[in-house]
Amino acid sequence: MASTPFLELAETVQNMDDAPYRRDKILLCSAYLGSLQTDRDLELSAQFLTEGPFPASSGTRLSVGSRTYSTCAAAFCNIDYEKVFKPCKKALGDAVEAIEKLMANIEDARRKRNPASLTLPEIQSRYEMLYQQSSRRGKQQILRESWASMTPLEIKYFIRIMQSHPLPIHFGSEDMTEALACAFDLPAGRVHYTRMITGSWGRTAILCKNGRIEEATFSPFTPLDLMFPSPFQAHSEFDSSNFVAEEKFNGLRTQVHIKSSQVRLYSPDHGDITQRFPDVVQFFVSLGLPGTVLDGELCSFRNNKLLPFSLIQKRLKSKGSNPDITEKYPVLFIAFDILFDHQKLTLNLPFSERRKLLERRAARYAFPITNQFNIPSRHQIKPLYDQALARGNEGLILKRKDSSYKYGQRDASWLKMEKPPASLQAVIMYAHTDRRKRGRTYSAFTLGIRVDTDDRYEEEFIPIGKARGNLARKVRSRLNRKVKEYAVEKYGPTLGLLPKIVVELEYDDIQVNKRTKANYVLYKPRFSTIRWELAPSDTDSLERVEQLYLDNLEGHQLGQHSTPSFVYQNSN
Amino acid sequence: MNIVKAGSQGILLPDLNLEFDCSGTPEGHTFISHAHADHMPRSKESHVYCTEPTYKLMRKRGFEGTADVLAYGAPLETDRARITLYPAGHILGSAMAFVESDNGSVLYTGDYRTPPSPASEGFELPSRNIDHFITEATFALPIYRWAPHSSLADDVRTFASSSLEEGYTPVFLAYDLGKAQEVMYMLAPLNRTVQISDDCFQFCSVYEDAGFELGRYEPYDQTNFSEKILIATHRTLRHKLSPHIRAQRIAYCSGWAAGSRGRGRGSINRRIPLSDHLDFFELINLCRELHPKMVHITHTPNADVVRHYLDELNIDSRLLE
Repeated sequence: MASTPFLELAETVQNMDDAPYRRDKILLCSAYLGSLQTDRDLELSAQFLTEGPFPASSGTRLSVGSRTYSTCAAAFCNIDYEKVFKPCKKALGDAVEAIEKLMANIEDARRKRNPASLTLPEIQSRYEMLYQQSSRRGKQQILRESWASMTPLEIKYFIRIMQSHPLPIHFGSEDMTEALACAFDLPAGRVHYTRMITGSWGRTAILCKNGRIEEATFSPFTPLDLMFPSPFQAHSEFDSSNFVAEEKFNGLRTQVHIKSSQVRLYSPDHGDITQRFPDVVQFFVSLGLPGTVLDGELCSFRNNKLLPFSLIQKRLKSKGSNPDITEKYPVLFIAFDILFDHQKLTLNLPFSERRKLLERRAARYAFPITNQFNIPSRHQIKPLYDQALARGNEGLILKRKDSSYKYGQRDASWLKMEKPPASLQAVIMYAHTDRRKRGRTYSAFTLGIRVDTDDRYEEEFIPIGKARGNLARKVRSRLNRKVKEYAVEKYGPTLGLLPKIVVELEYDDIQVNKRTKANYVLYKPRFSTIRWELAPSDTDSLERVEQLYLDNLEGHQLGQHSTPSFVYQNSN
Repeated sequence: MNIVKAGSQGILLPDLNLEFDCSGTPEGHTFISHAHADHMPRSKESHVYCTEPTYKLMRKRGFEGTADVLAYGAPLETDRARITLYPAGHILGSAMAFVESDNGSVLYTGDYRTPPSPASEGFELPSRNIDHFITEATFALPIYRWAPHSSLADDVRTFASSSLEEGYTPVFLAYDLGKAQEVMYMLAPLNRTVQISDDCFQFCSVYEDAGFELGRYEPYDQTNFSEKILIATHRTLRHKLSPHIRAQRIAYCSGWAAGSRGRGRGSINRRIPLSDHLDFFELINLCRELHPKMVHITHTPNADVVRHYLDELNIDSRLLE
């Protein structure tokens, strides 16, 4: 049976990109997937659409940078890279789009190309050749040879597939699930589950096509979709006797996969963060757990105290294993759920049963798990919440005892009660335009804090972070008018402003960053409100930021001595 | 030859006392290339020279000044120069001004299109040498190469027919003057009723007077879009029409539709790169053919690429700023 031409896939993806509505994209994709004759073509199509040149689970990544393919395309078209290619790229806002147009328009490029209707497996083999090649020159040679056999549209998607996963056509994982469900007449929930446990869109597509999704099996090292809590509504009806409470840690949500002496750690977006935490890996290797997947939180922990999230980030930012960083910023994984145990997924068990299983494993193998608190009445929640905050934690998670693990969902079976975000008064120093929108609308802002009385600085204000102004339309219009009124300098898309507009900023954390003038930056700053009534002198000072950072770091967290946040028999 | 820019659009030849596409001065001779708003005089005191269709269209757009109508190819003699208008192929009435003087010759293009828009008088160049070529370069990058009008017309008709067959109202996003009539001209063989704005409606009579068949058309009727084809601007569609259309399919007709990440991306079903300006390759080929002493580039987002290619052809060029 003949393999499907890559051009068919490229045309389908282009039509999907052009289709303005999600439903149309799904139907186009579904029709294409349903039309494929061979399993191999289906597998490759699903993989190219969502995971890139190689299956996500293979861990193989193709590294062909924008400069490599852009300079190669300029040479292929016989045009000057700096004088011609770059302005074209700038005009379209995208190098790949520019390459497609130039390949179609430039006579020299047209002469060099002789489309040969390459098949999907042939395209895959080109990606493999590129993967084998380490030098830029070698990669460019393969690109030139490949492009010579392609149409401009094929070239566009040949680059897109190796460059971005998923493809930038507003077609996400949920859409792919629906497309497969529609193509093979299956429930979307089953397709989603199959994809999650196999970790592969290609494999999922084949199982769907052949009516064998029941055969899908899970084994550790395929990251699972996590369950997330919904916000707790204080006024809503809530039967506390159905719930238990756990403290919500200020850490990094992590799933730990263990099998024999192999351990891997995954972040919520399925990123492999194993190398950043060799101490955690070593800890779990030493326990000798059987095949297990734990859901929990990686927390910074020292002297029997849980410490701020910013310290975990030091570990995340270090490349590979760094013994100094590992020692300086110790972490602890605290499990709060078990998703796989003894060759079986436990997602469908009620939470109370998963908890018993987790407790048994924790008792036998000695690893930390969250402490659980019963909530006999609604009035018991407040003291528990206050206690969690006193220990430096973010708040509480209330979990319904009879709920299954709703993977990939934000579900009301888990409810979170978080402390309100911290806030600071800051002044707008710079306004930046939104590149995606026409006209001069300023939507991102650099915020400053006061240093006018600080001997270390000569300025009045120095930057502390950059935030987007997600504001109501009227407020945004007024802000834009004021921005233009107070503008005194212009640097391309950025305006320098007189320090006049005071903003109340919410943020998640304060972090040290020695590369900034203030030495501190706000983590996830966002506009709370614009304080038109305040003067620049009312903004917070750098001293206050320093104090807030120290309070947070060393402050008043209680230890884990009585009724601790978590249970760990080796806890000291 | 002294050639300078006046404001954001106008061009002046002060030595010859000539002015192009601006409100002009009482002393000068002011020529208007076509009736698009960015080329029209704004002053009611203006006295201008232009073609007859341009004058009629300008009047319909609110021009209150006076005009002397010139026919294509009929020269106007002034004390310092001889000016002849040639069809520019941009919209109905669009003209290029060819200036001959003791200081040399100048061709001022205004906006132009070669091959010409099918709903225009065509495109024609002077037969004599051109020393100074003042050209617009709106689409001045090699990412822009237009398909032939016949193929674009097929796209327009196919989009309209298939949308109607599938129960959708086809909507073409196009300017009221020029592009709208070009689309109507392309749609005329379908023999379907096209609904257009009041502004667009009043311009159509000028096209028909000039002998262009625009098919069946009527102003918008918000109570009855069924089986009709609509032509609208973005703003009209969004604020006036969309709420009343049950199921619509939108085609964006513009040279800017060549890029897939431009305006209105979220709601557009089909992008038809139908431009009333010439593309990059047509511009370079025209410069090669004319081989003037100097190319003066105006109305462009980026003159550097054109200048780079002209350098390779040994043609001097500059950006008119």
